[in-house]
Amino acid sequence: MGSSDLDRQIEQLRQCEIITENEVKTLCQKAREILAEESNVQKIDAPVTICGDIHGQFYDLKELFKVGGECPDTNYLFMGDFVDRGFYSVETFLLLLALKVRYPDRITLIRGNHESRQITQVYGFYDECLRKYGSVNVWRYCCEVFDHLALSAIIDNKIFCVHGGLSPSINTIDQIRSIDRKLEVPHDGAMCDLLWSDPDDIEGWGLSPRGAGYLFGGDVVQSFLHNNDLNLIARAHQLVMEGYKLLFNDTIVTVWSAPNYCYRCGNVAAILELNDNLESNYKIFDAAVGVETRGAGLRKRAPDYFL
Amino acid sequence: MEVDSTPMTPTEYMEEDRSPVPDSTAMDVSEVDQNDDDDLSSVAALIDQLKHDDVQFRVNACKKLTVIAAALGPERARDELIPFLDDSIDDEDEVLLALAEELPNLSSYLGGSEYLPRLLVPLESLAAIEDATVRDKAVSSLRQIATQMEDSQRNNDFAPLVKRLAQGEWFTSRASAAGLFAVCYSAFDAQKQEEWRNMFAQLVHDETPMVRRSTTKALETLSSVVSEEHLETFVLSLFNELASDDQDSVRLLTIEILIAIANRFDAQKNRDTLLEPLKSLARDKAWRVRYMVASKFVEVCDAIGEDTVRAELVSTFVDLLKDSEGEVRTAAAGEVPGFAKFADKQTILESFLPCIRELVEDGNQHVRAALALHISGLSPILGKEDTIEHLLPLFLQLLKDEFPDVRLNVIANLEQINKVIGIDLLSQSLLPAITELAEDRQWRVRLAIIEYIPLLASPLGVEFFDEKLLNLCMSWLGDAVYSIREAATINLKKLTEVFGAEWAKDTVITQIIKMADNENYLYRMTTIFTLTTMTDALSPSIIKDYVLPTVISLSEDPIPNIRFNVAKALETLTPSLKQDANTADLIESTVVPSLQKLTNDKDGDVRFFASRALLDGEFTGRAL
Repeated sequence: MGSSDLDRQIEQLRQCEIITENEVKTLCQKAREILAEESNVQKIDAPVTICGDIHGQFYDLKELFKVGGECPDTNYLFMGDFVDRGFYSVETFLLLLALKVRYPDRITLIRGNHESRQITQVYGFYDECLRKYGSVNVWRYCCEVFDHLALSAIIDNKIFCVHGGLSPSINTIDQIRSIDRKLEVPHDGAMCDLLWSDPDDIEGWGLSPRGAGYLFGGDVVQSFLHNNDLNLIARAHQLVMEGYKLLFNDTIVTVWSAPNYCYRCGNVAAILELNDNLESNYKIFDAAVGVETRGAGLRKRAPDYFL
Repeated sequence: MEVDSTPMTPTEYMEEDRSPVPDSTAMDVSEVDQNDDDDLSSVAALIDQLKHDDVQFRVNACKKLTVIAAALGPERARDELIPFLDDSIDDEDEVLLALAEELPNLSSYLGGSEYLPRLLVPLESLAAIEDATVRDKAVSSLRQIATQMEDSQRNNDFAPLVKRLAQGEWFTSRASAAGLFAVCYSAFDAQKQEEWRNMFAQLVHDETPMVRRSTTKALETLSSVVSEEHLETFVLSLFNELASDDQDSVRLLTIEILIAIANRFDAQKNRDTLLEPLKSLARDKAWRVRYMVASKFVEVCDAIGEDTVRAELVSTFVDLLKDSEGEVRTAAAGEVPGFAKFADKQTILESFLPCIRELVEDGNQHVRAALALHISGLSPILGKEDTIEHLLPLFLQLLKDEFPDVRLNVIANLEQINKVIGIDLLSQSLLPAITELAEDRQWRVRLAIIEYIPLLASPLGVEFFDEKLLNLCMSWLGDAVYSIREAATINLKKLTEVFGAEWAKDTVITQIIKMADNENYLYRMTTIFTLTTMTDALSPSIIKDYVLPTVISLSEDPIPNIRFNVAKALETLTPSLKQDANTADLIESTVVPSLQKLTNDKDGDVRFFASRALLDGEFTGRAL
């Protein structure tokens, strides 16, 4: 697959048109080779723009790029949950993946709890692959890629980025580096916690209502930052109506990048732009206007307005 | 509060390989025809898929019915395939929809037009299905087949089918029947036509609103095929009944029939027969009916005839503009410019403007947005002076609206007013609003303003522009939103085309070059983007003295994104440098060495774009 062929696929995906099953197969194979080389805690240099959940809202991802700049001119870190719930998980994930393969140093993708076989069968990605390709092969290729995604990233050794949060079995970044990550997200343990946990107004650790991962308090964040000489934890995973939310004296931030989540939540989205001096700038954006629900998303014709 | 409290069900790894996966290429008709071996096996697979457990497979197989029919041959298609399909209508709606759509395409695979009636059998069953989408598709397929039929088939096969449906016990078949009356009506003799009209009239009186609704929709089509006489005796009277139906969902459909009738009647008849029903629909107690009238008002007026409209309908329209429901006012606001052609200037000033002034302050943002989008259409009718006196203040008010769509809609239509009052006056009165909107919170509003700036450039003149707008134009280069920064660079290029390269050198370029030293890489990036975008509008000497040195100086930047954009910029600059004898040397002395250095960069993307620039950069004829 030459770079011109890949450039053509990227162009096609940017128009929200899918590429062929064979092209997906080759793309995923390339992606696995690149991702396999990445660390569980992928090192990134600023400047970089940090993004949270996308959830298949393709036209809102296009809006994100309009606000943040196109890849490769802008460097991106996407903190997981690319798929499920929205109408265009296939196009969304394949576009991000194609960009990853074309510009591996300009875009970083880490794993979210939705990048899993089990979750995608319940929340839409599996069905969407079947509907758009007539078989589950594409879903299977993508799941193999999911298994290779890094679990977290660290920017200029100062900002730790992960989809969910911290884990009681992890005190240092080095402990994360030693996880064997190339498998389906387990039901418990460190890898599961990184993708499932949430910060909460408690002290220490608490049980998560999600049934996986933990709740963790400001003291946990403080000591993790101290132990690892960090300034900030950036994570996604939870809907924030204002797009982003800083907690615990600005030691942890939730970034959410799916505006009007599920096409009905009415929230704005945000991305966190870090410039070359690690100064942060949050950018808020709204849902793309009037395009998201058109086309292949709806299987049945909408009922007559007046019925 | 993420809604994700996913219950952790035990992992269920799919056994995906259980079923044969359909190979979409093997289903192509041409391939089946040419390739006998593949043909049999793939058709066999398709036939199996008609009975597959998975809905998606059955849908796919239904979409390939013609392939199956071609392989089976006409006789087996008639005697086996169609009866099989007729038996399978207990299926999911999705499959039935595909079936209803594909059936008419089998017509040329049955061995002659005498077998067309065979296709009616499954479609008749589909036309009685519960799901309205399937039924509609079946009805449209039945119509398609009827147009291909001989007269005898229409009389002996199609007409009895319509009759059976029309007298069906369950409302679904009666609702479907209505849509089938127009298609063969003209082909029948007078006696049969009368029979059909009577049958249709019964459906108008049907007790089920759903049937009356589809009858109302069908009456519009039927009105175009009946004779002049029956239009008056038959269609008009049915219209009057439906227009006073007790269901608003029926009444709201009648406005289409009214338009259809009015288009065939002359002006006098329209006035005598349709004016009162129209007025009463416009006063209907259900807002949805009034909404339909409002949204079709110009179309209705065109059909009714100008004189009647002028004399009788102005106040009706004003009432709709003042309706108690926002949806109705929104729809009416959209019809304002279209309707204005029926009214003279006096009427517009005296009757419409007061309502429009109220709508500008309407409590409903959608009403204001619709108004903002459409009132500029009044400007050509009012002419320059009245536009300035009456419309301009409304525009300025809408430009300050709190709802961004309203502001955007005004900006999008400034051009139309511009044509009437001239840009001079417009730009002066809009300037305060523009400077305010230039800092609008919504980036799309800012974008709309930026795109409008070049139009203002020459009428304002360079001095006035520099004084009032230049700072604004430069400040957009530092906007937080990428698309705004991008638009800002294009804006500067367009301004340079208007004011000239020397203007750019003195005012713009020096400031842009300063940004190359900014410690935030985004500014340095913008420097490269702006200089590259402006190149075509600049002179060779400016490129040589200002642009090229700045770009080259950034090739040592610590940020790789800057360095590969230097490579891209050099690629873009090369053709311009080449054109002029004074700068052509720079390619060899400056551009190529810089690019060659970048091809050894530690970053892969920098190396890629530098190499590409060297390959594509019109360095032909030189050994590299």
